[in-house]
Amino acid sequence: MASTDEDRMRKQREAGERESAKLWRACRTVHEMVRDRGYQLSDAEVTMSFDAFKQKYTTDDGSISRKMMNFSASPTLEMIKRYSNPVTAHDLHPSSPDIGTIWVEFLPDSNVGIKQMRAFAQHLTANNFHTGILITGVNITPAALKIIPAVASETRIECFMEADLLVNITHHELVPQHVLLSKEERTALLQRYRLKDTQLPRIQLGDPVARYLGLRRGQVVKIIRKSETAGRYASYRLCV
Amino acid sequence: MSSYPATSATSSKTKEERDREVALYHANLIQQRKDIELEILLSTETLIDYPLARSPYDASNPSPADAKTFKELLRPFQPSDYDALIVERNINEHCGYALCPNPRVKEEGGGRFRILGMNGKAKDFKVVEKEELEKWCSPACAKRALYVRVQLSETVAWERGAMENAANIDLLDEPKSEDGSLAERMEKMDIETDNAAGKKDAANLALERGDKTMAARNALVNINIQEKDVSKVPQAPSLDDKDLSGRLDSMHLTLEGHTSTFGSRRERRHNEELDGANIDDGEEDSEEDTDWQL
Ligand SMILES: [Zn+2]
Repeated sequence: MASTDEDRMRKQREAGERESAKLWRACRTVHEMVRDRGYQLSDAEVTMSFDAFKQKYTTDDGSISRKMMNFSASPTLEMIKRYSNPVTAHDLHPSSPDIGTIWVEFLPDSNVGIKQMRAFAQHLTANNFHTGILITGVNITPAALKIIPAVASETRIECFMEADLLVNITHHELVPQHVLLSKEERTALLQRYRLKDTQLPRIQLGDPVARYLGLRRGQVVKIIRKSETAGRYASYRLCV
Repeated sequence: MSSYPATSATSSKTKEERDREVALYHANLIQQRKDIELEILLSTETLIDYPLARSPYDASNPSPADAKTFKELLRPFQPSDYDALIVERNINEHCGYALCPNPRVKEEGGGRFRILGMNGKAKDFKVVEKEELEKWCSPACAKRALYVRVQLSETVAWERGAMENAANIDLLDEPKSEDGSLAERMEKMDIETDNAAGKKDAANLALERGDKTMAARNALVNINIQEKDVSKVPQAPSLDDKDLSGRLDSMHLTLEGHTSTFGSRRERRHNEELDGANIDDGEEDSEEDTDWQL
C-alpha cells in the first residue's frame, strides 16, 4: 500500500514538474518576443533559469501561478523611432508613433470566452496599455475573438496559446531573420526600386513570424538569408 | 417604357463617377455587415447573463420583459450565432437556454456517453454524449432551446429580406403571468388588425420591386416602376379585327390567346440577320421587355 501511495505522489510530482517546464519555456519565448519587437527588458528577465523561474512563481500549493507571471514593458527609443511617422513635404506635423506600453497576461482559465476577453480589453484600456498579449492554455471561442476588432480603436489585442510558445520559431535555423523597416526606410526602398508597395512579395498577417513580430498591415520586413554561394542576401515583403 | 431610367442616368456619368459609386456601394455593404456582426456580438454578451428577473420566474414561465428582449435580440442571429451563445453561457456555468436562471448540470464521472430512459418505454431510450447533456440544467431546457433554434434563419442577416427579418420567434414556454400575456395579446391583436393583410401586401410589393435584400435596397440600379399610360378605353378583342387576316395562318396554334413563338422567333431572327443587327442584344432586350409588360 505504502509503495503505491509513494508511486502516486511521485507521478503527481513529475506531472507538476512537466507543467512547470512548459510554462517556463512559454514565459521565456514571450519575453524574447517582446524584446525582439523592441521593448525594454533586462537580460535577467529574458534568460531566467528554470530554477529561478520556479522559485519566483511557485505558490504555497506547489503549482506555478500564472497570474504572477504577467508583466509589462515599454518601447525603447529605437523602437519609437522605427514606428515614428517621418516629416514630409505633405505632412509637416506627423502624428506621434502608434506604439506604447505592452501588457502580457497568462490566463489560467480552462475556458476562454467573451467575458474573459472583455475583461482583458477593459484591463488594457483602464491602464492605458497600447498593446496586450493574452496567453491561454486553451482555444479562445470564436465569439470572443470578435471582441478584438470591436475594441481595435482603443487597444490592440494579440492572442497566443501556451503550446505555440514552447519553442521560439525565429531561433530555428531554417527561419531567416526578419527585420521590420521604419517608415523612412520603407519609402527609401520603394523609391530606390521605383516600386509601389503592392508590387512587393507578401507576408500574411497570420504568418507565424509576422505574429511573432506583431506586424501590421502595410509594414515592410527585410528578410535576410544566408546563402552558400551568395553570402547573405536580402529580400523584402509587404505585410497584408 | 422602352427606356430604362438606370441606363439613361448612368450613361451621362463619367467613368470616375461610376467607379466612385461602385466603391461607395461596396463600402456601405461592408459597413452594414460589420454593424450587424457587432450587434450580434453585443446581444450575445447581454444574453450571457440572462434572465434578469429571478423567482417566481423560471424557464417554464419567463418574465414577459426578459422574453420580449430575448426575442428581439435574437432577430439577426443565425443558428451558428445561437450555438455560440450557448457555449458562452456554458463557460459561465449557466444553463444554455437564455431564459433559464439555473446553472448547467455537471455530470459526475468520466466517459463520453450517458444512457437515458432506462426504465421508461423503449422509445425513450437514448444514448447521449455527456458534453451535450452538460449544456443544460434539464432535458426540458434542451427542448426549449432547440425550439427557438429551429426558428432562426440560416441566411446571414444582411442578406435577408425585410419580412424575414421581422419574423417573430415563439417560445415553447411563453410567459404565463397575467400582465405580460395580456400585453402580448394586445400586441398581437394590433398586428392582426393593422398588419396581417398589410404584411402580405408589403411582402408581395417587396418581391415585385426586387427589393429583396439589403444589397438590393441600396443597389446601383435605380428601379422605378412606370405605369403604362392608357389613353383609350380598353376593348375586348373581337374576331372582327382588321388584322385578323394576317393571323389566320397561325390562329390554329393559339392556345387561350397565346401563340407559341416557334415560327415568329425564327422569322424575327431572319429579319435581324438581314438588318445586320446584333442578335444577342436583340434577344436580351426583347426578353426584358416582356418582363416589364407582365
Ligand atoms: Zn435550464
